[in-house]
Amino acid sequence: MADDEDDYLSMTFDDPSSNPSRKETSLQRTRRLKAEAAERSRVPSKKERAENERVAREAALATALDASNKGAQMLAKMGFKGGGLGKSADARTTPVEVLMKEGRGGVGMESERKRKVREAAEAEEGLQKRQKVTEVEYRERARNEREERQAEGGWWSAMRVLEGFETGAEGATITQASEEGEGEGGEIKKSGNEEDRTSKDVVSLDRKPLRAFNLLYRPLIRQRREKEAQQRLRRELEVSLPTAREREDPEIDLDDKTALGTAIEELEDEDAEAEGEADAELEAYEALTFAQRLEKIVQELRTRYRYCFWCKCQYADEEMEGCPGVSEDEHG
Amino acid sequence: MADNTGPTRSRFKRQKVSDDQGKMGGDRANPYLAHMNDDGDGSDGVGLHERGSNGTPHANGSGDTATSGQMAGWKRHATTAANAKAAEDGPSNPFNDAPLSDRYFSILRTRRDLPVHAQRQEFLDLYQKSQILVFVGETGSGKTTQIPQFVLYDDLPQTQGKMVACTQPRRVAAMSVAQRVAQEMDVTLGEEVGYSIRFEDMTGPRTIMKYMTDGMLLREAMNDHDLKRYSTIILDEAHERTLATDILMGLLKEVVVRRPDLKLIIMSATLDAQKFQKYFLNAPLLAVPGRTHPVEIFYTPEPERDYVEAALRTVLQIHATEPEGDILLFLTGEEEIEDACRKISLEADEMIREADAGPLKVCPLYGTLPPAQQQRIFDAAPAPFKPGGRPGRKCIVSTNIAETSLTIDGIVYVVDPGFSKQKVYNPRIRVESLLVSPISKASAQQRAGRAGRTRPGKCFRLYTEGAFKKELIDQSYPEILRSNLASTVLELKKLGIDDLVHFDLMDPPAPETLMRALEELNYLACLDDEGDLTAMGRLASEFPLDPALAVMLISSPEFYCSNEILSLTSLLSVPTLFVRPAAARKRADEMKDLFAHESGDHLTMLNVYHAFKSPAAQDAGAKQWCHDHFLSFRALQQADNVRLQLKRIMEREGLELISTPFTDKSYYDNIRRALAAGFFMQVAKKNSSGKAYITVKDGQDVLLHPSTVLGQDSDWVVYNEFVLTSKNYVRGVTAVKVEWLIDVAPGYYDPEGFKNADVKNALRRAGERMARRGAGGR
Repeated sequence: MADDEDDYLSMTFDDPSSNPSRKETSLQRTRRLKAEAAERSRVPSKKERAENERVAREAALATALDASNKGAQMLAKMGFKGGGLGKSADARTTPVEVLMKEGRGGVGMESERKRKVREAAEAEEGLQKRQKVTEVEYRERARNEREERQAEGGWWSAMRVLEGFETGAEGATITQASEEGEGEGGEIKKSGNEEDRTSKDVVSLDRKPLRAFNLLYRPLIRQRREKEAQQRLRRELEVSLPTAREREDPEIDLDDKTALGTAIEELEDEDAEAEGEADAELEAYEALTFAQRLEKIVQELRTRYRYCFWCKCQYADEEMEGCPGVSEDEHG
Repeated sequence: MADNTGPTRSRFKRQKVSDDQGKMGGDRANPYLAHMNDDGDGSDGVGLHERGSNGTPHANGSGDTATSGQMAGWKRHATTAANAKAAEDGPSNPFNDAPLSDRYFSILRTRRDLPVHAQRQEFLDLYQKSQILVFVGETGSGKTTQIPQFVLYDDLPQTQGKMVACTQPRRVAAMSVAQRVAQEMDVTLGEEVGYSIRFEDMTGPRTIMKYMTDGMLLREAMNDHDLKRYSTIILDEAHERTLATDILMGLLKEVVVRRPDLKLIIMSATLDAQKFQKYFLNAPLLAVPGRTHPVEIFYTPEPERDYVEAALRTVLQIHATEPEGDILLFLTGEEEIEDACRKISLEADEMIREADAGPLKVCPLYGTLPPAQQQRIFDAAPAPFKPGGRPGRKCIVSTNIAETSLTIDGIVYVVDPGFSKQKVYNPRIRVESLLVSPISKASAQQRAGRAGRTRPGKCFRLYTEGAFKKELIDQSYPEILRSNLASTVLELKKLGIDDLVHFDLMDPPAPETLMRALEELNYLACLDDEGDLTAMGRLASEFPLDPALAVMLISSPEFYCSNEILSLTSLLSVPTLFVRPAAARKRADEMKDLFAHESGDHLTMLNVYHAFKSPAAQDAGAKQWCHDHFLSFRALQQADNVRLQLKRIMEREGLELISTPFTDKSYYDNIRRALAAGFFMQVAKKNSSGKAYITVKDGQDVLLHPSTVLGQDSDWVVYNEFVLTSKNYVRGVTAVKVEWLIDVAPGYYDPEGFKNADVKNALRRAGERMARRGAGGR
């Protein structure tokens, strides 16, 4: 550097920190002393200390003596070329491990504890994994569920449509039998709300056995009847509750009770008869998925009534011209 | 041992024996505790005579020439068991022709009941045929006392002017076995039979049978590489794999090649003897079955949260529900054991009051327990409160001393929490510490075996079977893998082993451990850069001390305080001086404060020693004085003895013993400087914040141990030990000045060799200060 003052490229700079002989200014000195004092006055917490201690110890224990060690140099001069000492081939090459035992845990306690920690960690990990998987498949499952719900909804309405056709076509007897003279199918079509029916209607309804209905919409009928029965029960219960007036006239109350009780018994018997019997046909039908059930009804509607459930209209001929196809997808 | 209650004896009979002869059968017969017996106290049981009963002058004054008496005409290595038996039967002592005492014959009868006796001829056949023999016999088979005598009758060392050596890992064992064998042979201890342990030599010119610690034999080998004084060397308790035994095996493996006349017997108490066989080039093996009964092993269904608590529960459960039989519980250390004993006693008292349980006598057992208290473990179990009542039993709570080295009859139940305190050494952070660690499978089996000595027993392992299989290592690590090898390397160098790299050890240590040892010895100037012994190294190896202590002692005359450093070195070579009973901790601490020196623990210890030696203490009765001041009389006495031995070596080596007057103002500074000269590699520097320190080379955060006395704020301290517990501690601390450290070990304290910036800067500044001062002085 001194020889060639123009050679800026090869010029080196003194690292001020590596040159302790360089004078520091009094300001720097004050600052340094202040910083050092602050560092000194900070007393590490016990925990910090213990942790530092452990870290330093483990670091030192993990560091082998290297060739800079005087003893290593002496040993090398004696002819040591690495590996183990002595004459046996399996001589050890590293010192015996220093294992610190803390506390009074029995033999195996520590590894048991570690095992438990590990297992807990693994379980936690597993849970997270599963959750991740769920996230991935969540949409899939949600979509399936949505489709399922849609298919179920479609099935219920298709059953009503079919019922409408059936009762419209061959259910004349029912309509006639009904004192109100109103076709059930018609009513459904109008309101779609079976809650509106009065128990009076039901009681007076001609109770055709469930099996007599077309299998394809038999669940609809059954559900309706169950609901009706429940409503009836509720109403009867309400009626049977002794009101102030009734208490004044216990006789009426008693009579009513007797009468209603009989009615209930009859109904219950009927229901029991209707639902108690095993309906294998119905069971098999309900074992199908909603989509399959829906498809069956759609097919039935097409073949028997030239009605397309998706177009919501009845075609004039067998060709069903204008209908894009059998499935919902084909209807866009 | 002599009163082995054979498996065939009924329980009833056993009980009777323990009533009549229990005392005799226990402490008397136990060779390990023979040294505890006063000569006069054994008037019961078998007719015992005073030890000096054979005090007649030896008829045969020349033991090293041809044999006379019963052994006349015998040919070495060609005798039979029948020959030996005839000679043993008298009438006069085959080794000194003195008349044999009644006690001799009475002991002889019990000796012939020992399991090894049945295989005497078999042993002789193998011994005569082979240079090296591996002998396996469980504790209680009689191998330690009998095999050396079998050898004497065939090896006839007196005809060769040689001796038979039998090594023991522990001093106490060497002493007490020697005493027992002297009794068995009807000779005076120190004559034909003697012992040699560090700082104590109890042998004479007539000695033919020498029990010694393995460390002592190693020291002898330093000056006599071929161990020419011995005709047969027996390494006993080799399964314990002490550092010295491992080095001896490596050494003897070479010696037997050079000395075809030397016979070598490796004795082990466990059945992993194949490893020894393999190491010793497929030497023949002889196994003597021990007297054992089946032991049923129970595991816990779940790992225990607190092994001590579980142990106490198990002991009390056994006491409440199991039939008669003593309990042996293994715990890890003195404090834990004392605490457990207290708790068991309390609980048992309650059981006696409330549940009509039998009496339970609880005895602690650990190495530092005074012998008189250790002896309590051999007392008979307490009798029932009323005849026919619930049986009394004794519960021994022990460290792993009771695992292999002691034979306690009457144990039927063993409670094994699966831990022991084990020494660990790691060269990377230079820590040598006792850590509570799981035992090995071999240890667990050994512990279980303790339950089957008297009759079928039960072992309750306080861990699951799965943990036994998975958590426990097969064999414990031999000491050589768990120790700082600095003194071993010095010894090996002195033994003439120059190729440390290829020295054939059974389990060679990690190379890093050897590197650290070489480095340390190099900084201590005991080895040069080539790894060759220096004059300092040669001198240091003369002292049976850690090299750092030896160097400190050797250099102490330079600091005008070799007398003090000599005392201090002795004090550091014995167990702790301070007694701190759980019941009187506060009082004990107050007493310790009386001796406290503000500069730290080393000077405090020196104060204690000086006070102990003062007329005030000695006149009042040193024992009482120690008791009053919560000091260990035994430790101080031992230190006194060590001091004497070291002083002799110093005098022999021409090292000056000097002191400055006590009033000299640099009296203590001199001592601290000398300390720095030995301990400069065990230094911690105070952190810039708070009370914490950092070990300067390895950068480990440490705290001063709570027992430490340090009355002044010091940036730099030397320490005795780096202890790993739940925290890192340094123990045995004295304040020093950084200038002293740089002065004694400038190479070691070159700032560039330090990673920690704080340490580096402090050293640099100190160096600059010293340079300025030096320049100004000139």
